[in-house]
Amino acid sequence: MNPSTSSGQAPLPLQGIRVADFGQVIAAPVTAQMLGWLGAEVILVETESRFTTRVWPPFADGEFGINRSGGFNLVNSNKLSCSLDLRSSDARELAREIIKVSDVLVENYATGVMENLGLGYDEVKKLRPDIIYMSLGAFGRSGAFKNLTGFHSVINLFSGLAAVTGYPGSHPRIMGGLIPDAFAGCYGVLAVLESLYHRSRTGEGQFVEVSMTEALTGMIPEAVMEYSLTGREQERTGNRDGRKAPHNVFRCLGDEKLVAISVETDAQFRALAQAAGRPGWADDARFATPAARLENQDALESLVQQWTAAQDVAEVVATLQAVGVPAAPVSDTAEVLADPHLTERGFVAHVEHPVAGARPVLSLPWTTDGRRVDDLRPAPTFGQHNQWVLKELLQVPDREYERLVASGAIG
Amino acid sequence: MNSDANTGATQASALAGVRVVEYTEMASASFCARLLGDAGADVVKVEPPEGDRYRSHGPFPDPSTGSGQAPDPDWSGMFLYLNANKRGVGLDRQDSRQNATFSDLLAKADILVVGGQSDEIVRQGLRREVFEKFNPGLIVCAITPFGLSGPNSRYVGDDLTAVASGGLSFATPGVPDGVEDPAREPPLTANTPLAELMTGVLGAAGCVAALLARQFSGQGCEIDLSLQEGVAAVMPYELAHAAYHEPKKRELLGFALMPNVYMPCKDGYVVIMAVLEGHWRNLMEAAGNPDWAELEVFASARERARNWDALEPLLLEWTMSHTGEEIARLAQERGVPCFPAYAVGQMMESPHVTGRGFLQEFTSPGGRSFKLPGHPIRMSATPWRSFRAAPRLGQHTAEVLRDWLGWPEGER
Repeated sequence: MNPSTSSGQAPLPLQGIRVADFGQVIAAPVTAQMLGWLGAEVILVETESRFTTRVWPPFADGEFGINRSGGFNLVNSNKLSCSLDLRSSDARELAREIIKVSDVLVENYATGVMENLGLGYDEVKKLRPDIIYMSLGAFGRSGAFKNLTGFHSVINLFSGLAAVTGYPGSHPRIMGGLIPDAFAGCYGVLAVLESLYHRSRTGEGQFVEVSMTEALTGMIPEAVMEYSLTGREQERTGNRDGRKAPHNVFRCLGDEKLVAISVETDAQFRALAQAAGRPGWADDARFATPAARLENQDALESLVQQWTAAQDVAEVVATLQAVGVPAAPVSDTAEVLADPHLTERGFVAHVEHPVAGARPVLSLPWTTDGRRVDDLRPAPTFGQHNQWVLKELLQVPDREYERLVASGAIG
Repeated sequence: MNSDANTGATQASALAGVRVVEYTEMASASFCARLLGDAGADVVKVEPPEGDRYRSHGPFPDPSTGSGQAPDPDWSGMFLYLNANKRGVGLDRQDSRQNATFSDLLAKADILVVGGQSDEIVRQGLRREVFEKFNPGLIVCAITPFGLSGPNSRYVGDDLTAVASGGLSFATPGVPDGVEDPAREPPLTANTPLAELMTGVLGAAGCVAALLARQFSGQGCEIDLSLQEGVAAVMPYELAHAAYHEPKKRELLGFALMPNVYMPCKDGYVVIMAVLEGHWRNLMEAAGNPDWAELEVFASARERARNWDALEPLLLEWTMSHTGEEIARLAQERGVPCFPAYAVGQMMESPHVTGRGFLQEFTSPGGRSFKLPGHPIRMSATPWRSFRAAPRLGQHTAEVLRDWLGWPEGER
């Protein structure tokens, strides 16, 4: 039986869809993982000589191992692993056979790698004319910088996002979380789903290109517009906002414990003042209107800071939320994974990985009628599904399979 | 190729013929609906009489015309960006007759996109259960700060609270930062609505997934999507540290592998990533193969991290004697990820961006031209098109009521 068959009740959006995943590092793996969560069967084609996250930390309990990497395991759940050494022509032939029986191909190698492997779109569409081929590049697949190598920090610095991130009067800062990769991967999901919808109505496949830098530049429309109008660069404002004050993070009791507070309306500000036990703030002419609060936010922030400094984050959040003031903890990653709200909603889940043990994983970032992913499965170990993919799906005869293992094409 | 006279969308639009109603106070839901419009859906933005809040947001191309007069709300930059490829309908849902018209539109719709505080979504009756009886196929996509279920569902929030509670603030600045004292760099967000825009993309994906599921089931559904989860969803690698070993603390030089660093150069700042040994060798070649490149203490990425205090001044000596562009050219020629910090204008005027034609040009009523980002997905069979600019408040009310409901022109 197909190991990815789900036992779910209502049909999943991508039931019956197969994805050939040639993803590297984070971006395309995120796309394929989400397609898997939506019901597709995802075959991850992996080559040992091209390992990325499998050999990068963090490893389970700090101990190196290609099946112990958290960076790999959190972006490859619900996939089948087929290990093919794409340097071998036999392996490339097997890859083509996998593509022939796939509906979607996703890849984010450096520009030109897939073409050099004989797996570019022009070749692939001869094998499978209605394939949806998603190619995701740091700078895209055309243009002056298409061959530049770009990881998240490069993308942050080029796209303009870093230019609008930073403390007032200081240099650009790079956002954390490697967001360009996964965010572009989310655009990849949208593109593939739109393509599948189009194919369902017309039978037509297509080539889809996603650029990480363009995904990020799409997040700074105001800065782009401002520069094109006035030639001025948008200011870096720390955590401040042009319309809301206070709008910042404030230290609380404990090491590196902070709370985010955002106040827009006079009613919210009065509620904050009451909740902080300083009703006088609301009568202070310096803070009487949104414009006045913006004007005097240095003074205002220092008052709020004095109040929060002596309290627990959770206490500040509960106090402010009880009176309708937007507030939230500045969570570190461990706190995100331990957030009871996210766990109850099923966004943070736990799965048992055969090598790494029971670990938290992220699930699909939305629910459909309260349902998220019925069968969240751990990321595959390297080559875990070779037998199924090659012998069952592709019907490679046993002796030929043994020969390909012996020659190193498989494995 | 047939074109749909109502939207300008052609059959070669992925979502041609799909009808979407948007009703929202949040940028996220507007962006979600805009992306569906970009793919050719017929998107109707329903606005209350006071208009969408982003109409007053700016930036504004033309200075306001008179004393005390607000700038033209039809030309707020953020509004234009969030609401391209939509038709605008003005309806006052406080008025029972107009609210009935809102329901009539939903009876004809495939998708309703809503966004706001959870309590408001519920109070305003914007749940699928309200519409299910007269339109069982309707897909409702609700974007809220913390979601419609769970212990914090009634919490109020915005972009800042999402970036903070999703873990992204704490993780920023995000690359070992050799420039200033890490202890003086508190958690940070960007000066732009990151969480809202990221979650909007997920919302659009959720809507199209639901359209695909509806092909099997014939049934609509309700999508519940939170800004907090939208943020956490784009940082799996960061979260993996907490899940697998130990969370990264805010020690900006605590990376296990080096160099992966953001440092000053002759004319600004540059990022250098050479943790793979091949990259490191090529970086040293770019730097002219200095004597210290061969030192045992720099022999591996781990060793270089352990001995960063010794390595940093040596690398700095090289970066400070070259411009960011020079360093990037020398490194990238050898395949090493490296880039200088670009100002927004530098990016916009780079041959890469102008050559790909990514930015979209507009001209305001006052004759000023300006640009906004285009669409980051390029599809060969169903290419993105700019079908129409963002609507004026109520611009298409009569037209949509005629097209969708068959009303005679002029009635509402």
